[in-house]
Amino acid sequence: MFSVKPLKPTFKSYLPPVQTDLKKSPQLTIRKLEAKLLPGEIVVNEANFVRKCIGTESSQDDLWGKLICTNFKVSFITHNSLPQQNFKYVHRLLGEHDVPLACVEQVVTVNDAKGKQKVLGSNKKLKFNPTELILYCKDFRILRFRFDQAGPESAKKVCLAIAHYSQPADPQLLFGFEYAGSRYYNSSGERVNGVDPGGGHQTPMFDRPSDWDREIKRTGASEWRVCSINEGYLVSPSLPECFVVPASLADQDLKQYACSFTGQRIPLWCWSHPNGSALVRMSSISDPQQQRKLDQRISSAITKSHPQRSDVLKSDLDKQLPNIQEVQAALAKLRQVCVIEPFEESEEKWLSSLESSRWMDYVRAFLRHAVEIVYMLEGKHTSVILLEEEDRDLSCVVSCLVQLMLDPHCRSLLGFQGLVQREWVMAGHRFLDRCNHLRKNDKEESPLFLLFLDCVWQLLNQYPSAFEFTETYLTVLSDSVWIPVFSTFLFNCPKQRAEHSRDFARSKSIPLGQEQVLRFPPVWDWSQQFSPKDQTLFNNPLYVGKSATYVQNGAVKTFKRTKQKSYSSTLRGLPLALRNGQLSDLDTLPRRNSLVLRLPTAAEPQGLLLPQLLPSHLTLWRLYFLRWVPEARIPRGGPVTAFHKLSLLVDEIHTLQSHLRHYSTSNSSFTLTSTPSGLPPPAPSPAPSPLPPGPGLALSPPSNTPHRPQSLSRSPPDHHQQRQGRMYFRAPLSTPAGPGASIPTSSSCPAPDYLSSSFPFSPVGNLCRRGLLGTPLSKLLSGARIWLSTETLANETL
Amino acid sequence: MASASIPAYNSIPLENSSSQNASNESLKMEPLADVALLPGEERVIDKDIIYICPFNGALKGKVFITNFRLYFKSDGDHVVVLDVPLGAISRVEKMGGASSRGENSYGLDITCKDMRNLRFALKQEGHSRRDIFEILFRYAFPLSHGLPLFAYLSQEKFDENGWHVYKPMEEYRRQGLPTDKWRISFINEDYKLCDTYPTILVVPFKATEDDLQKVATFRSRCRIPVLSWINKENQAVIVRCSQPLVGMSGKRNKDDERYLEMIREANGTTKLTIFDARPNVNAVANKATGGGYEGDDAYQNAELVFLDIHNIHVMRESLKKLKDIVYPNVEEAHWLSSLESTHWLEHIKLVLSGAIQVADKVSSGNSVVVHCSDGWDRTAQLTSLAMLMLDSHYRTLRGFQVLLEKEWIGFGHKFASRIGHGDKNHADQDRSPIFLQFIDCVWQMTKQFPTAFEFNERLLMVILDHLYSCRFGTFLYNCENVRDNNLLRTKTVSLWSLVNSDTSSFINPFYTEESSRVLYPVASMRHLELWVTYYIRWNPRIRQQQQSPVEQRYRELLALRDQYLKKLQELQLSDSSPSTHLSNSSTPSAASPTQHITRLQTPF
Repeated sequence: MFSVKPLKPTFKSYLPPVQTDLKKSPQLTIRKLEAKLLPGEIVVNEANFVRKCIGTESSQDDLWGKLICTNFKVSFITHNSLPQQNFKYVHRLLGEHDVPLACVEQVVTVNDAKGKQKVLGSNKKLKFNPTELILYCKDFRILRFRFDQAGPESAKKVCLAIAHYSQPADPQLLFGFEYAGSRYYNSSGERVNGVDPGGGHQTPMFDRPSDWDREIKRTGASEWRVCSINEGYLVSPSLPECFVVPASLADQDLKQYACSFTGQRIPLWCWSHPNGSALVRMSSISDPQQQRKLDQRISSAITKSHPQRSDVLKSDLDKQLPNIQEVQAALAKLRQVCVIEPFEESEEKWLSSLESSRWMDYVRAFLRHAVEIVYMLEGKHTSVILLEEEDRDLSCVVSCLVQLMLDPHCRSLLGFQGLVQREWVMAGHRFLDRCNHLRKNDKEESPLFLLFLDCVWQLLNQYPSAFEFTETYLTVLSDSVWIPVFSTFLFNCPKQRAEHSRDFARSKSIPLGQEQVLRFPPVWDWSQQFSPKDQTLFNNPLYVGKSATYVQNGAVKTFKRTKQKSYSSTLRGLPLALRNGQLSDLDTLPRRNSLVLRLPTAAEPQGLLLPQLLPSHLTLWRLYFLRWVPEARIPRGGPVTAFHKLSLLVDEIHTLQSHLRHYSTSNSSFTLTSTPSGLPPPAPSPAPSPLPPGPGLALSPPSNTPHRPQSLSRSPPDHHQQRQGRMYFRAPLSTPAGPGASIPTSSSCPAPDYLSSSFPFSPVGNLCRRGLLGTPLSKLLSGARIWLSTETLANETL
Repeated sequence: MASASIPAYNSIPLENSSSQNASNESLKMEPLADVALLPGEERVIDKDIIYICPFNGALKGKVFITNFRLYFKSDGDHVVVLDVPLGAISRVEKMGGASSRGENSYGLDITCKDMRNLRFALKQEGHSRRDIFEILFRYAFPLSHGLPLFAYLSQEKFDENGWHVYKPMEEYRRQGLPTDKWRISFINEDYKLCDTYPTILVVPFKATEDDLQKVATFRSRCRIPVLSWINKENQAVIVRCSQPLVGMSGKRNKDDERYLEMIREANGTTKLTIFDARPNVNAVANKATGGGYEGDDAYQNAELVFLDIHNIHVMRESLKKLKDIVYPNVEEAHWLSSLESTHWLEHIKLVLSGAIQVADKVSSGNSVVVHCSDGWDRTAQLTSLAMLMLDSHYRTLRGFQVLLEKEWIGFGHKFASRIGHGDKNHADQDRSPIFLQFIDCVWQMTKQFPTAFEFNERLLMVILDHLYSCRFGTFLYNCENVRDNNLLRTKTVSLWSLVNSDTSSFINPFYTEESSRVLYPVASMRHLELWVTYYIRWNPRIRQQQQSPVEQRYRELLALRDQYLKKLQELQLSDSSPSTHLSNSSTPSAASPTQHITRLQTPF
């Protein structure tokens, strides 16, 4: 529900659309239209001869087809194809015109003739026959369907079904359960739908002590240990079964302390700086009697775990950051100005409307807060406790941002996914409540995860080569929240997941075998949603990874970050600018008494990443917020055109590397002579790699996957992927038949026509605002006129 | 030590110095003590002084003033440097008096044209500021003191002569002119028809020299409609001129009407579109002073569109407001609404959307006439931006120079009046950032189409820096007539000499040539951005990167690709030389493969 009530008024002003140039009546083929169903998916209701609106100005591009409501999605099936759209990535769970029910924010039915409209809820009645259905989606899309030619009854039924099924009363009615269940039934461990039930991904899930052990080792947090007192969720309902605590605290003490914390949440270790300072998150102490004592104990335990026994700083997030309702209100206002208000009318006040939504303010506030904590950990060598009432919302954002700024590992794809898995999923962020899938309590709804992704995008925007992934990845990740099949976003905490899946399995008599849980795919198994080819849209061609090649004085070199050492050396606290000896650090002295200003600003993709926090340097995440807005689309423009160019070049480099590799393997004498001393001879693996592993791209999988849990079954390392390239856009290439084959060049390849600032998304048919129909667009355009200053007349030059 | 070995990512600090190019170009300067002087530059005075830095507070140091620049270097370990071309100074004021109290209250206050202010403090005893103030005043405003601009003193030499970049005949020939409908006229050879137009004009074939004379009487300042650009495919043209002299009585002029009719007929456009850049009310108001616009009755085969772009005074005030919110400190509390209230981006939007409308008409085959009041400010913005959208040649490094030489310099944008080169009258109402606004529009386009322009942001910054610096002759004077009288092209150096002698740092590596493509930027507030790397570049909190990291990384990758290519060619050569399958025999180097492969590797 919008808190701003965007839709209520102006019904009177609504004019029925001009029914002129409609395509000729629906064709026979429509009867053959069948929904594509996933395992466990069933059709609830459907209507034929439905028209999906495409353009806002006229109905000539509209599509005829069948509107179907299943227990998973609203599906529109058509044989028509969209105008001017020759590209779309293929989603494996959703068709081109489909919306998951969980993504539907508001269902509005309209009857033109009677001049009525109604927002439909679950189990509501509808007293008129709808002529139009408008779906407002959580991902900012607005879809419109017309029922002029459809049977009135079936139209009504399908609308009611959509309204009803998009608001399930029980979590187990979310499609993920049926899906996971049927996959289990149908498969008994085999691959279903091309999906490997084991996961097929390499992201550590942090549901077992070994994942945490590795993380402790990776960060060098020697005075911290994995604790399993919450096994069976006996101590705290919202904590995972295992987590990390100061080594000096015994299980017995922890159990005792737990009762005094809100939600029995024992303070959780998040991360340790190479200097030993730790980042810890903690809920409030509910028992005032215990407050001081407990505070002291926890603090002293954390101090003990610090190699220099440094003090501990507490940062009270509730006092310094917006709360979840404020964030929710900000997004509602942002949605209002981005997609609800007519484009031209909102142009004049665009900047101030953006400001008054406060979304950018909040993005800045979270980034700023994270920077201040980075300063404590990095500059002051102080451990920090993030304090939040429940420790399940703001802490997730701040903890992740701090780690992204300090730890380059978190900026790799797997590192990032592990980070989200740890700090959001395992730490018990209430995804179910915050997404409000069940419409139980609107006050609990909050787009905190989107806000976090926006903060990450700001970092990515300022440091474009520091991340292994792209903004497309962030956008798709955010959209995945509304596809209710992933374990990642379905539950409030690990315990809830375990209970629900057990209950569901019991009720459906699904044999669970040893593990006692129904396996939901995590979102990290991207093969669930996209082909390997489409997944390459996630790869950032600019990424300077752990090792990257560059050319210096005509020679190709590789720099490599060896584990701990160079990591800390980049963080010596001396900003690069100072080392260059050019600039004084005077200008970094505080002007106001702010911590932030004293921080060294570094621009090292491998080291500390500090965002520029001036409001002038934070920008709207256009791809996410404006991708559906037809008027905002820049055809064959936008950052993606540079991305395209980069991808071609990187792909070309990969090809060259593999050619060179071909030489070094086919010519053994060559290989021997070319191995420099000190380097072990190439292993007899399928792809020996005496060459640097690529321009920042992890060509050799093992080097990039330090966390592979051994037990998970998975597809063999990326050989397949490697062959088909890690870049979505491929350099034009005549297949290298052997030595002497022509050499590719990417430099002169123009961007394909389908690229636009919305890529890989398309606004076509995804944003049909109400009220534009019937009002000539030209009128709106000419109506938006400019203020006139009086000086204009007086001063006009002649 | 990963970080130190990534030279590309070092944020090279752009100290408080005038501009990055100054330091780059310093290679060409003779080192002299601390300051590397340009050839022809002479030191005038050195003085101990206190620079009151808005970011760091008072800094003791030494100031050097030459006939070209003001250079300040602070004492102590942490050196702050200012390097300001005197041409960038718009105003020098004394601050405080001999009896002023308080620390550092006695000194100089300098306002610059490039979005910053400088304050210096001196000792109160003994009129210590008198000499420096007078010298600064003299050399910053040479024209007000009967002195030459520095461009006439400079002895700089470059490999290429930038004055040869633009040759009008060549450019018109490139456009396919003359045709059977358009001819080249030399009527203005001695600037007799119009003293602010260039010598070579393109006019309708049917119009006689006599017609041109008659039309000139009906157009403000005799700036008759002449061709700026012709679309090779459909022969639609962009014609520029000044407003018709309609006046209160609504005068008509048959010759002018017939002349526009000839333009329309040239490619059979059914309705000639006249874009009046001004807001409707301004156009009406101009009637009071003899101007006006083309009425429906008189020009029946024309449609008139007002583009609502405001005049030079509105733009000047808007930029002033913008400066207030970015210098010295960025307005943090209400950034977006403050930015909105400057209207700067809104003006940019109107100029861009006007140009889009022009380009759209022309690419769909309709000829257009563009004018404002005099046809040298808004008109130049609109025609040049539309041409940039329509003709990919202007999106190349040299083509862009041609565009500026032609539409701005040649057709008499009053650079001298708008910028006030060497002139002390800082409050002159003729000053206005029209050209800056145009460059900003170009920048917005490069942001929306990162691969469509051969030049990069740096070129735009350098152009703007030398718009003020007076180091080059390129932007001096109001029109060609005056330039000729002052022997500008023989006595000064062109900015394009500097640029074209070493183009590498001005090239956008992402550039992809697409010759027939028309670019339509989206002129929406949703995409327009404040050009922070220009407007907020003096703020030390923004650690400037000398080059965009993306561009930098792309260059590195290009170099890497070339290395691999070379490597591969060598391998293929050595591999195939005993056998027969040789395709790349042109490999330059014959170095042994082993030697090279080791260069490809680095010890881990």
